[in-house]
Amino acid sequence: MSSIKEKFNQISPSEFFYSNRDLAGFSNPTRSLYTAVREFVENALDACDQKGILPDVHLTIKAVDPDKPDPKPYILTVKDNGPGVDAKHIPLAFGTVLYGSKFGLKQARGMFGLGATMAILYGQITTNKPVIVKSSTDAKIQNQFEILLDIQKNKPVIVKHTEKEVAKKGLSVSICLEGDYSKAGNKIRDYVYETSLITPYATITFDDPKGQKFHHPRFVKDIPPPPTIIRPHPHGIDVERIRRMIVESQFEIPTIDDIMIEKVRKDLGLSKQNLSFTAIMAKAKKKWKNLSRQVRVVIALLSFLKMDFEKLSKIRIEDLDVPNKKLHYWDFGDSQSKTVEMDPESPYYKQLTNTVQGEPLTTFLTKRFQRIGPTTAVKFAEFAGFKPEKRMGTFTNQELVNLSDSLQKFDDFMAPDSSCLAPLGEGPLEKGIKKFFNPDFVAVVQRPASAYSGFPFIVEMGIAYGGDIKTGGPHVYRYANRIPLLYDEGSDVVLKVVNDTDWGRYKVKGDPPFIIVSHICSTRIPYKTAGKENVADRQEIERELRLGLQFLSRKLAAFMSKRGQAEMAKKRANLYAKYIPMIAEFCTELAGKKKEPNYKKLLDDLEPVDVKTEINTVEEEQPIESK
Amino acid sequence: MKASEKKARDISKKAKEKQKNILESLKSHGAKIYEDLENGQFPKFSIPSRSVSNIVYDKKLRQYILGNSTALRSAKNSAQLRSFTQLMWLAFFANRLTQEKKSSTLRDVYYSSQAFAIEFDDQSESDNIIVDLEAVTSRPREDFHIFPEERSSIFGDLNIEYTIPGYEGKSMNLSNHPDGYSIGPSLTTAELVDTSAEIVIAIEKGGLFTRFVEEQVDKKFKSIIINTGGQAPRSTRTLLKRLHDEMGLPVIILTDGDVYGEHIAMVIKSGSANAAHLRELTVPDAKWVGVWATDIEKYKLPTIPMTESDIKRCYDLQKDPRYESGIWKKELEVFLRLKRKAELEAFAKYGLTNITDKYLPQKLELAKSL
Repeated sequence: MSSIKEKFNQISPSEFFYSNRDLAGFSNPTRSLYTAVREFVENALDACDQKGILPDVHLTIKAVDPDKPDPKPYILTVKDNGPGVDAKHIPLAFGTVLYGSKFGLKQARGMFGLGATMAILYGQITTNKPVIVKSSTDAKIQNQFEILLDIQKNKPVIVKHTEKEVAKKGLSVSICLEGDYSKAGNKIRDYVYETSLITPYATITFDDPKGQKFHHPRFVKDIPPPPTIIRPHPHGIDVERIRRMIVESQFEIPTIDDIMIEKVRKDLGLSKQNLSFTAIMAKAKKKWKNLSRQVRVVIALLSFLKMDFEKLSKIRIEDLDVPNKKLHYWDFGDSQSKTVEMDPESPYYKQLTNTVQGEPLTTFLTKRFQRIGPTTAVKFAEFAGFKPEKRMGTFTNQELVNLSDSLQKFDDFMAPDSSCLAPLGEGPLEKGIKKFFNPDFVAVVQRPASAYSGFPFIVEMGIAYGGDIKTGGPHVYRYANRIPLLYDEGSDVVLKVVNDTDWGRYKVKGDPPFIIVSHICSTRIPYKTAGKENVADRQEIERELRLGLQFLSRKLAAFMSKRGQAEMAKKRANLYAKYIPMIAEFCTELAGKKKEPNYKKLLDDLEPVDVKTEINTVEEEQPIESK
Repeated sequence: MKASEKKARDISKKAKEKQKNILESLKSHGAKIYEDLENGQFPKFSIPSRSVSNIVYDKKLRQYILGNSTALRSAKNSAQLRSFTQLMWLAFFANRLTQEKKSSTLRDVYYSSQAFAIEFDDQSESDNIIVDLEAVTSRPREDFHIFPEERSSIFGDLNIEYTIPGYEGKSMNLSNHPDGYSIGPSLTTAELVDTSAEIVIAIEKGGLFTRFVEEQVDKKFKSIIINTGGQAPRSTRTLLKRLHDEMGLPVIILTDGDVYGEHIAMVIKSGSANAAHLRELTVPDAKWVGVWATDIEKYKLPTIPMTESDIKRCYDLQKDPRYESGIWKKELEVFLRLKRKAELEAFAKYGLTNITDKYLPQKLELAKSL
């Protein structure tokens, strides 16, 4: 985490964003208002999701001066009932770009939590007003901050900080920004509406600038299990990533200062005694199993230095030269650099080299990647042409590139773990579709987890027909990690798959009233653009979408033919109702009777068929027979 | 007077009996349907199939008849429900017509249906249902007082007595009007009382019919002259049959010298496929005397080239079992060889009366040997 931050420290991220804000979706007042809404709402939902809190999100947009024509300043406030942000993190979280809690490998709506800060920054640029953050993590005290960003230094400037007693946990973020609600309004309303469809366990309320209230109460009481953070899959890795992982796997030689010496003494149980070198080593040998890595390293160094604690406190380790088996140190007393030879046969030698050179390749693979066992690790090492016990610290740059390439090419790794994904699930999705569209027919499917380039993903889809759905379908509702995608639908992979479908084959003709809901969950959605509105046509994703849609389409076809049959039956029933009485009338006179025959029973026996009641039994292929 | 009164009573009685028969038949069909409905079942009945595959030529009867294949028409079958109802209505309507002794035309039926909210897309649909009724009851539509619009005519010394309401017992001689009498329902159902004629001459063309009347063919050849007006309507064929069967008169047929003329004669003789379900319309002993193809050469008649459809018709008829032998076969072959045709009027080349003066006597003489 810290290494990422350091990498950007050279150029201020806020400075970078300031000149490149189009990248994050802040290209104009319309788009910016919509993007800001999205970022705050998604952060609120993410925060609740991760703590298993049923979200209650309240979005308010208010014009500062309602009489001014658009574009004009608006105050955008998003309030949630989530865990809140600890007061000490607030200035950094809201006053710095690239500071957040979302850098792990798991599914979340936002990737790095940048968006919110960018919205704040955009607000400051356009209106020069601070962001107002109110947060309570304990439902007792609420911290209120007014923060401005120092763009050049990428640092927060706290304008005001107060505390207040409250009764509820949660976060409220309020910014003032230039926007164009008359143009963005439709999209924002669609966004709120579509978000509540894919987040059926959330209550979302939107007070718009015109005084209208859009309230979408939750209709599912269970929150889906939160995704877990997982280790990366070898297919989704590059050289840079490996290099960082190696750094994590290595241990630096601890600085031997007074604090460290005191720690070693304490761990050896020697706090009050001064022992000779030999006595120390004997004690260490006895206690070895309970010693921490740091302490073990110090003891190993000590074994070659052959010093007691008194002497040890007067030196500084300069270098551990493993290839030449030499240990260099600086002696403060003599003010000169000294060297000792290390005996490679010593049991302590290994302790030191391990520390410097890191884990062997096989350990590195099994420990740092998901779903690699020792057998696979050895097989891979052979495939890649490395010794299994080769230590990670000894890889040259070229070797690392070879390793990275081999990791991509090796086919025997298991498919990525999907526990880091949080699909909505078939039940809630079906409920949502039923509630929003009151359809005559609905079917949902959750495809098994799959992966592209080592990133796991799950596709879930729903299809619905009739009811309150408008004609002119299919209308496609696209979601990625529970975010509705509203822009740029033309070039989206989902649209491509839908448009490739020959609906006539599935008995869907004319101007059909039907919708398709598609949700792609992944640790990394392959968006085509930085605006994150359309998904690229990755072959693996396209295939899963296609299979899902085919499955649903077949169900739809079964419904359509059943509906066709039902319509026929109804038509037939109408025909009987029309003609049988006529036949009765004519035959009565022909037969010379006075009273008409009792044909009512005949008509009553015709079972009335209501298509709507057929929804739940649509899978049974039962031809309707006339009686 | 007394004798004629008795006869009128007899005629009236006969007509009433026929009417009673028809009504009984309709009633029994209606009763069956009524019973089905009363028992909570979808009514159904079987109807002789009128498809081409079920129409066969019966050599014994010397006419086309329907085979044994029947179709079930059921009110349960939604595809048949409409035609079922239409047919029920038609039976109901025919029942009323017969009871009230009112006659109607095919077109009347088509329009009458609308008074009962029965839908027919067009008259051909209602005409088809009328044929269905004929097939079910094995009776011609005329029995149900439904007549075609087209009228042919008759002239000659024949006394008849009407049986239709209001005219019962009233008699008429069919040589009283030089334009001839139109063969309508009252004439087809009239009682044929007596005649001095010894032969019936059916002629295809109205113009020639008038010529024959003018030339007193009826007197000169002791004949009754009938204008079929092209293909003989069913009422005309019924009357021809009755003249043959009831009065013992031989029937000869004169047509244009072409393949259609030959077929007009054949239909009078042995019926049409369209009316294969009826047995009362043929005169198997009728004789076609011309104009033959051979006559075209023999009399050096002015000719017209045959059209393609004429030629195709020749080939079609060659496949018909009735054209397998005799003059029917021979004349078709000659037509095909000549590829030319001649009309009855062609005799005018030799003078307006040539046909009655020369051709007809020769043909009548010839007919005796046929």
